[in-house]
Amino acid sequence: MRMVRARRGRRMTRLADPYQILGVSREATQTEIRKAYLRLAKKNHPDLHPGDKSAEARFKDIASAHDIVGDAKKRARFDSGEINASGAERPRPPEREFYRQHADAGPGSKYDRNWHDTEHFDSDLFAELFGARGAQGNAKGPDINYTLSVDFIEAVNGAKKRVVMADGKTIDISIPAGLQDGQSLRLRGQGHPGIGAGAPGDTLVEIHVKPHAVFHRDGNTIRSTLPVTIGEALAGAKLSVETVSGTVQLTIPRGSNAGTILRLRGKGVPAKSGLGDHLVELQVVLPDHADEEFIKSVAEWEAKHPYNPRATEGVPS
Amino acid sequence: MIGEQELVDAMACLEPEALQRWVELGLVLPQTDGDGLQFDTTDVARVRLICDLHYELQIEESNLSVVLSLVDQLYEVRRDLRRLLSAVEAQPEDVRVDITKRVTTKT
Repeated sequence: MRMVRARRGRRMTRLADPYQILGVSREATQTEIRKAYLRLAKKNHPDLHPGDKSAEARFKDIASAHDIVGDAKKRARFDSGEINASGAERPRPPEREFYRQHADAGPGSKYDRNWHDTEHFDSDLFAELFGARGAQGNAKGPDINYTLSVDFIEAVNGAKKRVVMADGKTIDISIPAGLQDGQSLRLRGQGHPGIGAGAPGDTLVEIHVKPHAVFHRDGNTIRSTLPVTIGEALAGAKLSVETVSGTVQLTIPRGSNAGTILRLRGKGVPAKSGLGDHLVELQVVLPDHADEEFIKSVAEWEAKHPYNPRATEGVPS
Repeated sequence: MIGEQELVDAMACLEPEALQRWVELGLVLPQTDGDGLQFDTTDVARVRLICDLHYELQIEESNLSVVLSLVDQLYEVRRDLRRLLSAVEAQPEDVRVDITKRVTTKT
């Protein structure tokens, strides 16, 4: 009983009015019917709508409706009641197999990439999803390398520099006191954007320190030479000396020879690793224009007090 | 597997010249052996689809490759997704629930 009722129910849907299925009036012209059929067939072709399970049933209904009223002769027989919506006793064509039954399931990949140049097309959905992001991981972005020249004093005391990067971005670089020539600063997150969810890369700034006319650097120690006159070296003096942290007064002890090194404690590089000293080496300088009187008096003095600086190996300290 | 003649006989709409052109264009990829072309069930269903597209839906032959390319890509993606789904199904329940939640939340 139940079986019979079910079959009858199915037949009822099969026998739906073909005009209704195609959404046209009974008075529609053949052209209008054809148009309506094409529109619906495109919209419901199961192979073009693999995700729509009911598309196949709708498409079959549309096709059989068109089969009857799409043909003027058959339509006339249907309108006169000579045949019913199933196309009379004419057996329905065997259930057709749609392409999606092959292409949408199983390995059915015969026609995959039929259209790509297979040699150059090697990315599939997963290569896209996991290849770019997975294989390289959520990779950190590449670093940007940059070179920055700074003045000697800036490197010693530290400075803030504003630089414009290649991409037009402006970044502020904090140069810590005591930075050495050739050292690099790592600016975290200022590099190229990360891959996937990866963090951006860094900007590496290599610092080039320009040489200074007076100061030289030896670790955290600053060295310079101080020219003094013969008189200043002999009698001693109080002189102004440039240091990296400004001018200071330096006492030259009486009888300081050339090459004497005087220490200015704490006047060197103010690095985190420790405050350096400034070592001043004295350089005794003859007058530019030593006249006969000066030369004669020195020679007379030397004759009375001969000394040989080459005889001693000791280096004055 | 059926031969070319059998296929043409089975499909009323199919003209033998059209089938040959489609094979030449690479729209259908039958096997070739000594006796000629051999179509498997997938090829047959594909020829029927091409018939629908061309004779019923009136897609010109020159445009068939565009449509079929999209169709092929669609099915490839669907099969890929199905593989992904079976990989998800193999995960522990909390992972599956989390993935489902994320996938069904449309942004």
